[in-house]
Amino acid sequence: MDESPGLSDQYRKASPWPVFVALGLPLSEIGLVFDLFPIAVGGLLLFCGSIVGLLLESEYATTMWKPLIVMSGLLGVFGGLLIVADGTTDVTLLTRAYATFAAAIVMALGVVAGKLFVPKRGIPT
Amino acid sequence: MAINAQIALTVFMGVLLIAVIAWLTRIEDWRSYSASAGGVVSQGERSEYIEQEKPAGIVRWLTTVDHKDIGILYGAYGLFAFAVGGLMVAAMRIELATPNTTFIEPAVYNSLLTSHGITMLFLFGTPIIAAFANYLVPLIIGADDMAFPRINAIAFWLLPPSAIMIWAGFFAQPLGLGFGPAQTAWTMYTPLSAGVGNDPAGGAGIDLMLLGLHLSGVAATMGAINFIATIFTQRDENVSWANLDIFSWTILTQSGLILFAFPLLGSALLMLLADRKFGTTFFLTDGGNMLWQHLFWFFGHPEVYILVLPMMGIVSYVLPRFAGRQLFGFKFVVYSTLAIGVLSFGVWAHHMFATGMDPRLRASFMAVSLAIAIPSAVKTFNWITTLWNGRLRLTTPMLFCIGFVSNFIIGGVTGVFLASIPVDLVLHDTYYVVGHFHYIVMGAIAFAGFAGIYYWFPLVTRRMYQATLGKAHFALSFIGTNITFFAMILLGYGGMPRRYATYLPQFFTLNAIATVGAMILLVGQIIFVWNLVTSWLGGKRIESGDPWNLKEDGVHTVEWQWLDRRIETALTDGGDEEPIADGGEVRTDGGTESDDD
Ligand code: HEM
Ligand SMILES: [Cu+2]
Repeated sequence: MDESPGLSDQYRKASPWPVFVALGLPLSEIGLVFDLFPIAVGGLLLFCGSIVGLLLESEYATTMWKPLIVMSGLLGVFGGLLIVADGTTDVTLLTRAYATFAAAIVMALGVVAGKLFVPKRGIPT
Repeated sequence: MAINAQIALTVFMGVLLIAVIAWLTRIEDWRSYSASAGGVVSQGERSEYIEQEKPAGIVRWLTTVDHKDIGILYGAYGLFAFAVGGLMVAAMRIELATPNTTFIEPAVYNSLLTSHGITMLFLFGTPIIAAFANYLVPLIIGADDMAFPRINAIAFWLLPPSAIMIWAGFFAQPLGLGFGPAQTAWTMYTPLSAGVGNDPAGGAGIDLMLLGLHLSGVAATMGAINFIATIFTQRDENVSWANLDIFSWTILTQSGLILFAFPLLGSALLMLLADRKFGTTFFLTDGGNMLWQHLFWFFGHPEVYILVLPMMGIVSYVLPRFAGRQLFGFKFVVYSTLAIGVLSFGVWAHHMFATGMDPRLRASFMAVSLAIAIPSAVKTFNWITTLWNGRLRLTTPMLFCIGFVSNFIIGGVTGVFLASIPVDLVLHDTYYVVGHFHYIVMGAIAFAGFAGIYYWFPLVTRRMYQATLGKAHFALSFIGTNITFFAMILLGYGGMPRRYATYLPQFFTLNAIATVGAMILLVGQIIFVWNLVTSWLGGKRIESGDPWNLKEDGVHTVEWQWLDRRIETALTDGGDEEPIADGGEVRTDGGTESDDD
């Protein structure tokens, strides 16, 4: 509580990621609900990417590969669910599913490329 | 969708993502720079280094995870929303000055009605409380910051997009996007809101509003989790449950309510959205309308306590300071806070007495609704007893606290009448209800907010507001509130229904009076904004951490002690003073300055 310097005051008081998490979430929602393919893909990438940024920054993760794979997997599952649900409603959910897959694939490709080209130490944040 | 639009959207998204990445690279540059500028530094320098770790200018506000900065952001956001919601209702009241349509079309009136309610509750009420809580709770309980500072920032930054989505219909119409603002009222009752027929109530405007509301709910829930974690785990050693301050208690209770109420609202909103967009029929089959009302009010009633409990906390915290004593019956105020928190989940169907639900159920909801008046009354008596024989100092925050108590009594007593089924069946959906809850939301919740803003203004800005303007603000607000909303109570007795842009000529006089009251309120709020802005920029600087002379009464609480130390640190220019021991200063002593040098 003190403004006077104690060790606990030493953590960083700024982070660029929260704004983008908070921008990515509504963009992906709007994209998916209104069936706007590019907005959905971009929003999901922004959302997931910023979460990865946060995880790295707060040292919950040491490299970005694992979180990216997990999120890519979650999006894949979600897209799959959309395809299943597509059969049961009058509204077509296919493009929404494809948008989710697209974001998942971009992230997976990013991981592959990263594994191949980035030296072992991972990307410092 | 047309190919061109798709391409435009793709380009837009691409540009946005690239801009984000470019911006991030610059930020990261700055960060590695400032991190390596660290090195081994002495205590005093290190404090500057930490200040420097915040970037300058607008970037600081975009990237901050400091609870005090975020508190200020919440406050600015809340006041902006208050202004928007206030101007909306000013237009509505002007329309209602005469019985017929003269100023705005009924459709516009309905849109403003919807947005006014939602703006005030979700974009002003909840955020302004978060402003106080963010700034103060960590200070008061001796935490370094919130438990999850980054989540704290995310919770705040979700709010601007949510506001844009809630208001989207107002922009979309002039832009020719083919949809207008929602006209569902804040309760969003189905089937109107479910989009049957040709969706007369707003089309995509409703969808966006539902998404925006959902987002604000996510934000509130994240904030609540953060406060619970902070209050449970981040307290200083000498802050125990027994001496936890009243404001943190109310924030803790409120966060608990949010945790149970908002996710439920979120789910209900998504179900409604699915009905509208994806062909489900949650609310479109038999009983669907009742289902919506049950779900909505299971959230909706706790929501009113989500708003009022922390404000009661502010009053319980500030009012004794100017009565020269401690809060009377502290323990019982805490117990009644907790009691209200629990009971508030058992009263929701009092909003539905007129729906034709099972009378036996109805009676049980009546019983609990009457019971919830008891802890509310306990608090009221405690405030009054605190004032009794106290050494009262009628500063602006104190005036607003007393105004709070007075308005809360009228709002509460009218509520007790509504809780009684036979009375409610007569008064339901009349202006009496509008009068009742505005005595609470304007007369009490907003008043306590003003009290808090004036009281802690010197803490945040290190300047004093202009006292005369503050008192004018109080006088106009108090008179305006009572004229406007008492007239509405009388209109309700006369049988005027709520939520219409026009009315029968016999209601003219009282409506004209209500409009005059609203204009008085408007003038008062203009003075308020003027006072805040000019005082922040050029108000008189305070010299010590005790602008309210609390030390005299031995009630110099910990946030002011913090300010004291801050001012002294600034005076000694970051010299090499020892970190101050925290021992024994939790509640009331003022004897820490001498330790500093
Ligand atoms: C003393 C305790 C209270 C009781 C017994 C009570 C009772 C009621 C009842 C029965 C209604 C429904 C009236 C109707 O629609 O026919 C109602 C409406 C309302 N009350 Fe209260 N109330 C109390 C306190 C509060 C508080 C503290 C707040 C705000 C913080 C509040 C805000 C509202 C709102 C917003 C509505 C109208 C909702 C709508 O239909 O749009 N009430 N109250
Ligand atoms: Cu209620």
